[in-house]
Amino acid sequence: MSDETKSNPPQPSDTGPAVMRSTVPISIILLTLLLLFLGMVYFDHHGGWFDSQVYGPYTSADQLESYQPRSGEAAILAQGKARYEQVCGLCHGLDGLGKPGQAPPLAGSEWVDTKGFERLTHIPLAGVNGQLSVKGQMWSLSMPAMGAAMSDEELAGVLTYIRSSWGNKGGPVTADEVKAARAALGTHPQPMSGDQMSKLPE
Amino acid sequence: MKNGFLVFLISLVALGGSWCGFVLAPVSQLGADKQTTILNSSDPYPIGRPGEANQGLQVYRANGCAACHTEQVQQSGVACDVILTDNGKNPSAVYQACGASGMVREYRAWPVRLPITVVQGVNKESADDAVDKITTAGGKAEIHIIATGSDIARGWGRRHSVAEDYLYDSPVQLGSLRIGQDLADVGARLPDANWQLIHLYAPQSMVPGSAMPPFRYLFQVRKIGPVPSPDALNLPKEFAPPSGYEVVPTAQARELAAYLLSLRADVPLRDAPFTQPLAVSKP
Repeated sequence: MSDETKSNPPQPSDTGPAVMRSTVPISIILLTLLLLFLGMVYFDHHGGWFDSQVYGPYTSADQLESYQPRSGEAAILAQGKARYEQVCGLCHGLDGLGKPGQAPPLAGSEWVDTKGFERLTHIPLAGVNGQLSVKGQMWSLSMPAMGAAMSDEELAGVLTYIRSSWGNKGGPVTADEVKAARAALGTHPQPMSGDQMSKLPE
Repeated sequence: MKNGFLVFLISLVALGGSWCGFVLAPVSQLGADKQTTILNSSDPYPIGRPGEANQGLQVYRANGCAACHTEQVQQSGVACDVILTDNGKNPSAVYQACGASGMVREYRAWPVRLPITVVQGVNKESADDAVDKITTAGGKAEIHIIATGSDIARGWGRRHSVAEDYLYDSPVQLGSLRIGQDLADVGARLPDANWQLIHLYAPQSMVPGSAMPPFRYLFQVRKIGPVPSPDALNLPKEFAPPSGYEVVPTAQARELAAYLLSLRADVPLRDAPFTQPLAVSKP
């Protein structure tokens, strides 16, 4: 009897199978820690830290920022041109020559091709109503404030575009300058008459 | 049960952990996503689909289009091109700056008509470097940001799909199998409603060898009445019905086509920037 118990494995007790106490090899623990570490490094590098804008090929907000197309002079002009053709070009023409009896020309106009642009900026922001002389011709105008709904950047782009196209040689207009003009006009600008416009500085 | 509490605890951690990873993290990241604006403009994006196209989403869903088509453009990287836009006062110095470090392949081809791409497919630092050199030489250059990846190379989109693209879709038809093309940008790629309708009725008439099944039950083949229908499809001979009959799209086909045309992911956004080529008319 005693020999039999020695040769046989220990019988399971009635409390169910028991797991033998044994130690986890240190190599497994080290491997787990290494994998956790590499996982954290990967997450740190690719996660974008839960920024909803950062994912895909971009790994950080800074990197994404560096890849934003800069609005250089050409980009502003391109935006201005697109906006002009969408809004202004319907009356003033894609060639800036205007429409007889309706919209005066912008190409070579003494209102557009000027050194300063304070007066010009007021036209799309406030609108024009009444008599106005353009290139030696009297126009009876009623232009709505087409630029009032545009953002400062857009209007600056449009003004820059009309001032540097079709042979015009005016300088660029910046968004800050449009913002200042908008502030000067107040919240409810009234369309201006030709006389009022003429009194404004160039 | 022995160790019951431990088993419960471990399952809780395992399930809770994956719930945090798969549900909580995405919701905290994108749950509050809302309409944004197109890069460098104030136009909102996305604009909700028009009613007919919105109905078309349900037709798309009902016909199982997502079984063979995905609506997700992948992007593997981003690259920069440098475009020389102005020679400046000393063109030879600018050309030399462009030619330095092998930026231009055909250096001998100068002078050239501007604008011209002088550096292609480099990272941001190299592009900034090249622009610096050109600016120092008195010229002007700009950097174009271009999304890269096999989907973009196939012409399936200009950039990768972003969360905003799906903002108003319910349910989102992402798809997971590409037996057919990716359709995230199909409205920009194939903007002709008639093309879409003919393709739905007889795919092989438009794309020879296409594996797409025809969706003829979305169309009505009927006898031509006293007046031919203005909506009848203009089919090629071998796909046309017998003479005296015409193929007219049903409302469902029209809605599906409207939905396909509304699938456009072709504008740059802050989280998916790229430079749109200037729409400057040629002199």
